[in-house]
Parts: sequence; structure tokens; C-alpha cells
Amino acid sequence: MEYDYQFVPVGEQSLNIVFPEVIDAAENRAIQSLARALLDTDEGIIATIPAYHTLTVNFDAFRTSFTELTNKIENVIKNHALLKNDDKKHIIELPVCYDEEFGIDLEAVIKYGKTTFEELVRLHTETPYLIYMMGFMPGFAYMGSVSEKIAMSRLKNPRAKVPAGSVAVAGKQTGMYPIEAPGGWRILGRTPVKLYDPAHPEPRYHAGDHIKFTAISKKDYYYIQKLDLKGSYELKELV
Amino acid sequence: MKTVEVLEGGLASTIQDIGRSGYQAEGFPVSGAIDIMAHRIANMLVGNDDDAATLELCMLGPKLRFACRTFIAVAGGESQPFLDGRPISLNKVYSVKKGSTLSFKPMSAGRYGYLAVAGGGFLTGLVLGSRSTTVRLGLGGFKGRRLQEGDRLPINECYKMASLHFRELTSKKKNRSAKNAEIRFIKGPQWNLFTSEAQTNFCKNFFSISQQADRMGYRLMGSRLSVPKINMLSEGTVLGNVQVTREGLPIVLLTDRQTTGGYPVIATVIAVDLGKLVQLNSQQQIHFKKVSLDEARSELVKQADELEKFRLFLKEYRYHYPIGPARKGAQKLKVLLNEKG
Repeated sequence: MEYDYQFVPVGEQSLNIVFPEVIDAAENRAIQSLARALLDTDEGIIATIPAYHTLTVNFDAFRTSFTELTNKIENVIKNHALLKNDDKKHIIELPVCYDEEFGIDLEAVIKYGKTTFEELVRLHTETPYLIYMMGFMPGFAYMGSVSEKIAMSRLKNPRAKVPAGSVAVAGKQTGMYPIEAPGGWRILGRTPVKLYDPAHPEPRYHAGDHIKFTAISKKDYYYIQKLDLKGSYELKELV
Repeated sequence: MKTVEVLEGGLASTIQDIGRSGYQAEGFPVSGAIDIMAHRIANMLVGNDDDAATLELCMLGPKLRFACRTFIAVAGGESQPFLDGRPISLNKVYSVKKGSTLSFKPMSAGRYGYLAVAGGGFLTGLVLGSRSTTVRLGLGGFKGRRLQEGDRLPINECYKMASLHFRELTSKKKNRSAKNAEIRFIKGPQWNLFTSEAQTNFCKNFFSISQQADRMGYRLMGSRLSVPKINMLSEGTVLGNVQVTREGLPIVLLTDRQTTGGYPVIATVIAVDLGKLVQLNSQQQIHFKKVSLDEARSELVKQADELEKFRLFLKEYRYHYPIGPARKGAQKLKVLLNEKG
């Protein structure tokens, strides 16, 4: 593996594998791949939590210890051929309505980028975004990287309530709010798709997947929302 | 299946087990009992497995009516339970009849208590492998929320409990009112980013639990620590992590914590001291003490050994000499004596 890393104990039952602190798609893919590989080993690993540049590993302290486990992880890293180039690429299409009713911060971001509405939508929907990690709440995907032009930093004072389904940017990151929550990201639009449902909590996408936004009209927004509520809307997988 | 009816919900009563640990990477908080040891003890007393769901009560417990016979045990904070109007002890198994009511007074010490019922605990549906409630996500437990009047919690009827009158944990008398509490920690992943002055102050100063304390985390009060001036990328959170906010105050991350966080983590409270920490009141002074990873681990093993000893004690007691009618008589005598006393 081409990345430097070090092991840091986080508790008597957890450790971090820390890679260089950058937002880098290739490095993150290696981390995602390692996260899966470690779960497949039988070394007392309970859970792995991949993030931008870290992999948190929770383990059973009665089966293994920090020293023992780090030795084994080192071997996994050495022998795991997929680490460098894990090509399984899922691209999931997510419809977004960039209407000004939903996109509370559209005006501010257009001004920030000295651009037009059409250009902003084009830039935000142009490329698939890698999900670097899931966090904050179920269904919240931290994705990147958006074009510099619309990469407006988050609000100084977060809003008390961001509506469920809001699609937003924060610097070069982009993501969706699955449920109503406080938040400071700049809101560009809203997806009609329910991203978190306590009755069916299984996530519809995972870290390592890609999301490609596609712009829809307000009419389509309500149509898809209706279908989705009935459970008859499937997210389209592009690859 | 039989039920327990909720007559009054109490302050924040929820169904909890040992949490859904496999889904943190998907953004699901682990959740589960905030005082996991108390949850385990309550379950063990009534002969359940660790992962059976208990009712977690907070400060003021609920009022319940049982629609069938079973056996119960209450553990954790001093919740002052009353069975059919008579006070009962914590950490001890009681038989309840059809129609029996269980109520609580406001806790005299501690914050969280656990009610376990025999026969496998509360049998609400499994969600992602766990019955734990995460209230802010409306997930798991009973309808994803705190218990309310009129709820009917599914349980199994249970008629038998081996060596009932010996099922009591007496060894541990906790001093819950001590003015100072020592909480041990190991260095957190960002310990080295803090100045040596901040490190020293974290260990030297006293902290107390603020009003902002819930199942997500306890915000502490005390003198402010100087915070490293860095912008961290978010990383996975671990139970007991002590984050330091921009204002320089520590937050101890607990069972409903956000799955990722971007504040520097100065310390992680060792697992065996978390139960003590979560039960402290806001007047008690917390003193953090640094220990090595090895010590944290051996404390964990020690605690597990004690618990295992207690489990074996409960299991083997009924085979102690003398076995047979005489022994049955002894149990009855004990009950009679208790009732008279």
C-alpha cells in the first residue's frame, strides 16, 4: 500500500488507523476497501468505521488486544491486493429539484460563484460524487468534491431546522439531510426521495458508492415523492 | 404473548439492550443502555442473556401494570421502586402477579435505572439486530419513542425462577453521594495536539456535569482548556471519547452519540468507569486520572470476571447442600422472617 499510516489507540476496545490527513478519493477508496477486508477476518473485530482519512476499528478486548490486532492488521494491509485499486464502482442517481422554494441558499451561492442558476445546476449535477463517509445521521453522506465555483463555506450560525431531503454544499463537500435537523450547509435544492425511514432503516447507499444528482422539475418532484411514499420508487443505478 | 401496560410513562423511559454496534459506519448511533453494567446485572438476576432488552428509566421511572406472572429485578440508580405499593430493593429478584403494579419515586441518587423481566426481557421488534431505542431517529424500541400511558410492552409469562430467594447482588454497596469522583481515562487520539498545559489542567482541575447531559453526551463544566487551533476532518466516534469544543469545554460522548465527530478528542474514559460517570449528579466533582492502555484493559477483564463469578453463583446456588425439601423449607423460612422483619 502506498499510503503511510499509523495505529492510534482510542480506547481499550477501539483503535484508529490514521492515513495522511487529506480529502483524496484514491486514499479514501483504499480505506473503504480495508474496512471491508477487516470485517471479513476472524480476529475479534466488531465494527469498522471508515472516514475521510481514518479507519476506526472496534474490537472485542477479550479476544484480542491493541498490540496483537495491529500486527494482524499490518499483515492484512500487506496481503490485501485490492487496496490500491478497488474498482467496484456503484453510481446511484438521485433526483433533486433546484427550485427556489427548496434551495434556500441558491441566491447566495450564485452570488458567491459569480455565476448563473443554470450554470450552478450544471456544475452540481455534472459529475458523480464519491461518498467518503456516512455520518451525522443515517443516510447523511459526506461527498466530494464540488466545483470550486459553488464551494461556498457553511453558515456561521447553523439553522435550527433544515428540512428533510435538503441537498446542500459546505466548502467542497456536498450531502443530503435525510431528516429534519439543525445544520449550517448551504442548501441548493431538495430530493423527493425519502432517505431515512425508521420503518425501513436499511440505507439506500453506502460509503464508497457514488451519487450523481439529476435536476428535476417541481412537477416531477411531487410525482416521485408520491411514488416513493407508496414504496414504488427505486433509485436508479447508473453503473 | 403477554404484556406490561404503561400507566404513566415517567420522565424518559425507553427500551434498550446492548445496542446496534454493526451500523455505525452507516450513520446509525449505537444506542443501548447508557449504564451497560446495570443493564447486565438486572438481566443476569432474572436469568436473561446480556442482550435481552430492559426498560431504561431516567430520574423518574414509569408506572407499570403486569398482565401476567413473571419475575423482575431493578438495577442502576436509586430509583426507589414500589411493587404493589410496598418498597422493594434494588439488585434483587421479585415475583410479580397478574395485575401487580410497579412504580418509582424520583431517584435519590444516580440518573438511570434498569428494569429486567424474566423470560427474555421486553420483546419489541428487532430493528437492525437490536431492540434499542434511538429517540431522535424514531428508531427501534417501542415505536421508536419514549414510553407513554397506554403502551403495552410485550413480554413472556414466566412461572419459575430457580433459587429465587438467593437471587440478589449484595456485594456492591456503591457510595453514590461522594463529593468527588475519580474517572480514569486513556489518552485520546488527539491528546498530543493539546498543549502540555491543557493536558495538565485536564487532569488537575475538577469538572462537573452541566444541564446539557443526555444519552448523546454529557457536557462538562469547569475551567476552560486551551484548544488546538486546527481544522480536523471528521472521524468515527468511540464510546467514552472526551471531545473538547471550541469553547474549551469537554463533552463525554455516550451511547446515542453522533457517529462521526470533528472536535479533537483529548481522552477516552475507560469502559469500567463509564457506568460511574453517567450516574453522577451535577454537584459531584469529577477528577480525571490518566491510566495506561494495559491498566484499562486489565480493569475491564477484572470487571468481567466479577460478573462471571456472580453468574456462576446464581447458577450453582440451587445445587448447594442441602438439596431437597429441607432446602425448600429454608427458603420459605427466609421469606417468613423477611416479612416479619
